[in-house]
Amino acid sequence: MERDVVISVRNLYKSFRLPTERVSGLKQAIFNRLKGIKGYKEQKVLTGINLDIYRNEFIGIVGRNGSGKSTLLKTLAKIYFPEKGTIDINGNLVPFIELGVGFNPELTGRDNIYLNGALLGFSNKEMDAMYDDIVDFAELRPFMDQKLKNYSSGMQVRLAFSIAIRAKGDILLLDEVLAVGDAAFQKKCNNYFEEIKGKQTIILVTHSMENVRKFCTRAILIDNGKVSIDGSPEKVAKAYEKLWN
Amino acid sequence: MAIPNFLYKNNRVLLKELTKTDFKLRYQNSVLGYLWALLRPLMMFAILYIVFAKLLRFGGDIPHYPVYLLTGTVLWSFFTECTMQGIRAIVQRGELLRKICFPKYIVVVSTTLTAVINLLINLVVVVIFALINGVTPSPTWLLVPLLILEIYAFALGISFLLGAINVKFRDITSIWEVLIQALFYAIPIIYPIAMIASAAPIAAKIILLNPIAQVIQDIRYCLITKETITIWNYVDNVFLQIIPFAIVFIVLIWGSWYFRKKSKRFAEEI
Repeated sequence: MERDVVISVRNLYKSFRLPTERVSGLKQAIFNRLKGIKGYKEQKVLTGINLDIYRNEFIGIVGRNGSGKSTLLKTLAKIYFPEKGTIDINGNLVPFIELGVGFNPELTGRDNIYLNGALLGFSNKEMDAMYDDIVDFAELRPFMDQKLKNYSSGMQVRLAFSIAIRAKGDILLLDEVLAVGDAAFQKKCNNYFEEIKGKQTIILVTHSMENVRKFCTRAILIDNGKVSIDGSPEKVAKAYEKLWN
Repeated sequence: MAIPNFLYKNNRVLLKELTKTDFKLRYQNSVLGYLWALLRPLMMFAILYIVFAKLLRFGGDIPHYPVYLLTGTVLWSFFTECTMQGIRAIVQRGELLRKICFPKYIVVVSTTLTAVINLLINLVVVVIFALINGVTPSPTWLLVPLLILEIYAFALGISFLLGAINVKFRDITSIWEVLIQALFYAIPIIYPIAMIASAAPIAAKIILLNPIAQVIQDIRYCLITKETITIWNYVDNVFLQIIPFAIVFIVLIWGSWYFRKKSKRFAEEI
């Protein structure tokens, strides 16, 4: 059976310019220009990533700190532009690099849901359709007209998380967020992921091999900005654990 | 999702949501709430009126001088607020830009639109003052929206240009603060331009080439009194008359182009 490719990454390169000294001042910038100092160092983060992701795969991306996982995720989310290479995305991609981005403590829960939805590119009408579902999953209906600053921190992440997983996107990007809140809510999140495993395309960056084994249908180990191993969750989890031994 | 297009519906939704939020938040937790949007320029007006109209007697023979002064301060407050907030907008929303991909210009436009809403509220006050002061409504009032569009385009262009530079060089905000102080005295807001015109006609003509001065004088002409000196009745060369518009046009185009070019690296550089 031919499977649909939803994300296709070809030969992706990304590097950052890291300032070598403080150049956030005009004076310094002019001095550096005069002295011929570039003022930054090229840091190569992704060095030729090739990757195909198929519809309804639950992909775990693992790797050591600084290996380029998050940069890859942010490049997929179009937050960073690719320096070289191409990314083809087929479908609506909903990124959650961090929970509760754009949340404003002075707004009510309801307003925050709509604002967050707008930031993710959903229209008010689309949000109307998702609203009840989000509120029910978060179990926060009685608090929707209260300001977010009066929520407990657990309630805030529950709301953020519910938007993340109930937003009707084709592809979901998650950075190190799977289960939040108290034990009961965490269980609910875990059940939810087991339930949708194989029914939605999800890309998860994580350090938890337990989660990789439990949820993922395929895993990828990133090392030094390259795909080092691409295979079954078990194989990748073992290789990852070996990095230390 | 690919092309940041103003006509793209979801971008309009985002613009609306951000503007609504900005406006809502600005006056939250204050007892007088939205009234502050009105009170600030009115208080500035009261001070300037006492100092310049009553103590220094700047008004001279200009009819409806208090309204004339109020119009100037309201427009100046708008320009200052618009550019100051617009230039800072990207840096202030930095956290957001690093986590979600959305058209960056929306942040600048939404922030400056809040200033536009404030201006519109203030203009209602100006009109009420004008009517109380005995100004008769005239068809030229209808030209005011076009002039507001011009000054907004100028402020937006500056916000795009300097806001993009501000991401890397934060000094821009401070430099602009100083510049705008200087600009305040280079524009006939508190003093009537007639004072300059009688002493040094050339200087008055140069002042009128500044788009902000041109707009303020034009709005005073349209709204209050036909005895206002404007670029149209004071500078007689057609090529000189189009200079303010050319400045606005160039700044807006250059600003948008530069912003667009730099915006793809904002997430990395903030």
